[in-house]
Order: sequence, then C-alpha cells, then structure tokens
Amino acid sequence: MSRPPVRHLELPRMVQGHGETVWWGMVFLVTIETMVFASLILSYFYLKAGAPAWPPDGIAAPDLLLPTVNTFILLASVVPVAWADRGVRTGNTVAVRAGKMTGQALLVVFLVLKVVEYAGYDYDWATNAYGSIVWTTTGFHTAHVAVALIKSSVVLALSWKGYFNADRYLGVQANALYWYFVAGIWIPVYLTLYLSPWVL
Amino acid sequence: MPPADPPLDARLASVWATGPGFYGWLTAVNHRAIGLRYIVTAFVFLLLGGLLALVMRLQLAGPELAVLTPGGYNQFFTMHGSTMMFLFAVPMLEGIGIYLTPLMIGTRDMAFPRLNAFGYWVYAIAGVTLYVAFLFGTAPDGGWFNYPPFSGPGYSPTAGIDFWVTMITFIEVAALVASVELIVTVFKQRAPGMSLNRLPLFVWAQLVMAFMIVFAMPPLMLVSVQLMLDRVIGTHFFNAAAGGDPLLWQHLFWIFGHPDVYIILLPALGIVSMIVPVAARRPMAGYTLVAVAIVALGFLSFGLWVHHMYATGLPVLGMNFFAAVGMMITIPSAVQIFAWLVTIWRGRIVMTAAFLHVVGFLVLLIMGGITGIMVSAPAFDWQVHDTYFVVAHFHYVIVGGALFPILAALYFWFPKMTGRMLGERLGRWSFWATFVGLHVLFFPMHILGFEGMPRRVYTYLAGLGWDGMNLTSTIGAFVMAAGILVFLVNVFVSLLFGARAGADPWGGNTLEWATSSPPPPYNFPTIPVVRGRDPLWDETDAERESWATSDPEHPRREVMVTTLLDAAPDHIDLLPGPTIWPLWAAVGAAIAFLGSMIHLLLVPLGALVATVAFVAWLWPPREEFPA
Repeated sequence: MSRPPVRHLELPRMVQGHGETVWWGMVFLVTIETMVFASLILSYFYLKAGAPAWPPDGIAAPDLLLPTVNTFILLASVVPVAWADRGVRTGNTVAVRAGKMTGQALLVVFLVLKVVEYAGYDYDWATNAYGSIVWTTTGFHTAHVAVALIKSSVVLALSWKGYFNADRYLGVQANALYWYFVAGIWIPVYLTLYLSPWVL
Repeated sequence: MPPADPPLDARLASVWATGPGFYGWLTAVNHRAIGLRYIVTAFVFLLLGGLLALVMRLQLAGPELAVLTPGGYNQFFTMHGSTMMFLFAVPMLEGIGIYLTPLMIGTRDMAFPRLNAFGYWVYAIAGVTLYVAFLFGTAPDGGWFNYPPFSGPGYSPTAGIDFWVTMITFIEVAALVASVELIVTVFKQRAPGMSLNRLPLFVWAQLVMAFMIVFAMPPLMLVSVQLMLDRVIGTHFFNAAAGGDPLLWQHLFWIFGHPDVYIILLPALGIVSMIVPVAARRPMAGYTLVAVAIVALGFLSFGLWVHHMYATGLPVLGMNFFAAVGMMITIPSAVQIFAWLVTIWRGRIVMTAAFLHVVGFLVLLIMGGITGIMVSAPAFDWQVHDTYFVVAHFHYVIVGGALFPILAALYFWFPKMTGRMLGERLGRWSFWATFVGLHVLFFPMHILGFEGMPRRVYTYLAGLGWDGMNLTSTIGAFVMAAGILVFLVNVFVSLLFGARAGADPWGGNTLEWATSSPPPPYNFPTIPVVRGRDPLWDETDAERESWATSDPEHPRREVMVTTLLDAAPDHIDLLPGPTIWPLWAAVGAAIAFLGSMIHLLLVPLGALVATVAFVAWLWPPREEFPA
C-alpha cells in the first residue's frame, strides 16, 4: 500500500477568545439559565392571569426605590468587569485584579441591600402563590449573584498565582460572560417583579 | 488512513490512556468509555422497566386479579414510565451519540471530557436512587407526568413523589451537560473539510436533539423544583386555594414533554438515515431535504404541547392552533420516510438484522404516526382521552420509533464497539419475536380504548368483553420479552464467540469505519481530511489525506479545532485528562438534591462539596503556572 499523504501542519495552540470551545460552552450554559428565568417569568404572568387581584389583597405593590438603586449597582458592576475582560488580553494584571475586586465589592453591596429588602417584606414564600413566585425568582437570581462571586474568586486566585497573561485569558473571559448574564438577566426580572405590578 | 506506525501508536496510546484498576475506572473521561457506560446502564434500565411492564400485564391478564395491590400498581406504572422516558430512552440515545459522534466527525474526544464523566455519574446516581426507593416500597406513584394537585403535599404525603421530583430534576442536569457537550463538539471539532452540509445525518439529528434539550429541559427543571418547593417548604405554586394553579404544571411539563418525544425520535431517525444507505449500497437520497426536515421537526415539536391538554378546558381557538401544528408535523416526518424509501428503492439491499429492524421501525412508525394524526384533532382526542387507545398510540411511536432503531443501532455498531459481530441468526429470531409480540401486545389496546377501557387503572370488571383482548395483550408482552431475551443472549454469545469484525464490516461510508474496531483510545492516529458526504466511498484509504495534530515524537492530548461552518483547520486544543473530581461533584450535587428531603441544611453542605470538586476539577495543572 502506498503511503497516503500525512501533513504536519503548524496550527496555533491555545487560541483564546470568542469561538473557543470553552466560550461556546459558557454561551450554552447561559442559554439554559435564560430558559429557566424565562420559565419563571412565564409562571409569574400565568399565576397573575388567574388571580383576581395581583398582588393579592393584603400585599402592597413592591417598593421601587431600593430595588431600583440596587439594579443600578448591579449594572454598574459590569463596568469594572468589562475593564478586566479587556485588560487581560494585553496582560494588564492590574485591570484583572482591580476590576474583578471592584465588581465583587458591588455584588456584595447588592446582596446586602437584597437582604435589607427581604427583611422589609411582610409576606414570605408560604403566604400565597404570589409570595412563592416572587421569593423563588429573586432567590434564584440571588443564588446566581453568589455563584458569580465564588467563580470570580477562583479567577482572582488564579490571577494572583500568575496564571493569566496576554496568551492565556479564557478563564477571565468566560467569567466575564457569566457576569454579564447575571447582571443582564436581572433587567427582565426587575421589570416583571417590580415594575409590572405598577404599570400592568 | 496511513499504515500502522507502531511507535507513534504506542506514544499516542500512553498519552490518551486511562489509569489502571478500579480507581482508574472511576476517573475515566474518554468519550467511548462514557458512551458505553451510558449504553449499558440504559439497557439495564430498559430490562427493569420491561420487567415492571410484565408484572403489570400479569395483573391485567384477567379481570380483578390480585397480582399487585392498587397502590403497588400505581408505583409500577409510574416507575415504568419514568424509567423508559428518563432512564432508558434519552440516556441511551445520548450514550450512542456520545460514543459515535466524535468518531463520525473524525475527532479524538469531546470538547469537555470531564463534563461527560460528570453527566454520567449524575445519571447513574439518580437512576439507582429511584430504584432503591422502589425496593423500599416508597417509589413515586403519581405517573410519569406526576400531575398536581394529586402529587402535591396534600394528597401524596409519602416520600415517593419527593424521590421523583428530586431525582428527575437531577437527571435533567445530566441531559443538559451532554447536550452542551454534543453541540460544542459538533460545532468546533469536525474533521477538516466536513462543512455542515457534509455532516452525517445522525450527527445532524444529535445536534438538533441537543438544541431541543437546551430549550425544553429547563422548563421541566423549573417545574419539578416548584413542586419540590411546594412539598418541602410550603410554597403554593400548584395550590389553587392559595392562588396557585395546577394547570401551570401541565403547561410547563408538556412544554418539555412534547419536545421530549422528538428528543427521543430524532436521533432514532438519524440512526435509520445512517443504516439505510449502507444497507442499500448507495448514498442517501434527499440529504438536504432530510437535514431540513430534522431541523423543522425540532422547531415544530415546540408547538405541540397543548395536545396533551385538550381535555383541560382550554380556549378552542388556542387548541386549533396546536391541532394545526400537530398535523403539520407529519410533513417533515413524511419527507424522511420518502427519502428512505427512495434510497431503498434505488439501492441493492443487503438484508441484515440491523436493516430488518429498520424495516420494522418503518412499519411501526407509520402505524403510530397515523393514530397520532387521529388524536391531534381535539374532537377525536376527547373521545379516546385517557383510554388504552392513547397507550397503544404512544407505544407504537416510542417502541417502534425509538426501541427498534436503538436495537438496529446496536446490531450495526456493536462490531465497532466490541470488535466482534453480533449474531445474524439470533438477530432475526429476536426481531420477529419482538415485532410480532409488539403487535399482539399493543394492537388490541386500540380496540380496548375505543370500548372505553381507562388507562392507569389497576384492574377492570368481568363481563365488559375485555377479558380476551387483555389476555392476548399479556401473551404478546411475553413474546416481546422473549425477543429481548434472545437479543441479550446474542450479545453475550457474540462477545465471547462472535466473528471478528474488521475496521469496516459493512462497507460503511462514514469516518467511524475508517478506524480499527474497537478504536484506539485516541480514535484516529492522524486526523482525516473530508472531501464529501460519504468520505469512505468518495476516496480510498490510500487516497485520503490526513493531518498530524502534534509533534509525532511528543504527542499530547490534542484535538484539532475547526471553524463552525466550513470546518477549516483553526487551531489545536489541549484536552484535560482523567480525574476523580467529576465523581465528587456529582456526589456533592446528589447530597444537595436528596438532602432537601431530609434536612434543608444538607443543601448548602452538598453545594459546598460540589463547589470544592468543581474548583479542583478546573484547576490548571502545575506546569501551566509560572515557575
């Protein structure tokens, strides 16, 4: 048998950025999570459609001031994370560390204000179906914020150990993508839970 | 393929090897190891689910028998349905996909090997837990659809339903990770030249199935969590007295549940599209139309869920929409059937046991499809709703449309997986017993349904004229079981004494036949270049070019990453190797899910174990850090 051609092609290794398999994996994780949030919002409006009053009698429409301020805090956390996301591509470790830590600080503020907000509720998940869907939806999102904190802590630890450089930064990017999702998905959640009782 | 190069093969094998012994077995991440585990485990669950069905048929063999208690019967049919849908059909087809997809697209492993291992452990833990609960007499008993309010805390206070909601939620995690894995692998790791319009049809079907899982499983996951919360911490999602709505369950469940039928059917259709051209010795007719039909089925199946809810009093206008989609879905189904028929017509058929099962599938799918068109009309559906007519319909579709292609796939790819041929004579016996038994078992149920025999009831009264048909049905069940038993015997006999299969026993057309049987741990010594839809028919082995991914003196766990549409070579990726951490992550997640039934503090504890395991799993190897 004649020997068929085998090419030894020098292809680049360790390519980073969009289109890399890890990036695609994160895209689909985010898609799955988006579907869960979509199902929660669908549940909210389905229960609302079947209810004589929404929120039910005895529960006031949600306060807007604190959640709105908190929404801007969460959205603001995207800015330092985006800075880290860009900085890491040029090997700017200061941007990675300072950006992630600033973002984390804003997430902690968000979580603290969330606890303050929860403490002011005069109903819980077992009061009625309204309480169930509100607590489950915000609770699910709060869990995502906590996960974003844990994930970024791992990324920070890797950064302090000198793992990331201009040729290796996929972890920072994947973490940033998840972060954008956690902040972005809050917008429809906010519109549904807080604004829709006032306008719909 | 280049001729064997023993030193290179040995170097590659050592790089791609899994550690020795039982611990090595626990740490394996290779896609073929994981795929085989899925296939074997799912087959065991098929046998268990089948045994449950046999006991149910014994109970129904005559009127007012007492083989099972009424409560026991409820547990049996719930476990039968849940097993066949969640523990057999989806994992089996995913397992076949995990095993074959990388071979068909010419890569060495899937994009996230460790995630694959994690998914398998999650699936295995969930399935075993459900059966352990069953052995202790606390199996779920609310049906595989588990409707509240019956399944809510008020009417089902025992732990059975808790096992269902926690373990089904858990199993969906396994399905979701496998689907992400499949999509990314098909997107980015195809052999150079395998542009999307050259993708084998089975891989198309796997791709669409994976996308469907990504969009269909999250609603099921949410709804089962909602029921879990209703039962564990007292929320009111499905409690009408506190503003909840039991119909919310039905909507979210069937938004998953109807696509799920196609999640099972599509890869089965993909299997048929692979076997037909090889058996007919000619390329598949209407390749593009079939690929488009697969995608169309994926989309349309999301517009069908309400046809499971015609009897719930929804607005008629809405039902008409779903009825129209239900009838529309016959178009892409028929496109595929005609494409197979044309391929068979224009080919020279080589009759094998695998192809025999494909023929059986065609007959059964058409019969089940016709009753499907009947029940898609609301007026007809109301007459047969909740009767044995529906049972007959979906068993023809699922057994005919999924089990037969799965058996065909096992005949067809058993040589690739084991290196030995599966016996043809026993294969034909097994086929006829299964095929005839299935008709004897399910055909009378059409008539029983017309006569009003309700499903899900543990017995019936004498004197209704149903005794003979029920007895016939029970006999059919045992004939069918005998067919499966013959298959099992065939597998064991062939494993020991089967004829040796070469690399390509069928004269196949796709890349999995280009490597040895069973393939080496690295699948392909060099990555083949693809120039058409049937790479092995387009070029001889001597003509086919291939690419070495790495320095042949120092190979690593490398795969070639190609571009999404055209599969042009892009770069080389390094895959992670075997590790124990996915098992620990699955154990941690299991503690969190199961713990919610015992004490809520176990949830954060399990999450902590899983988090530690995830971090350890993703932590880079030492040599990647600066000194």
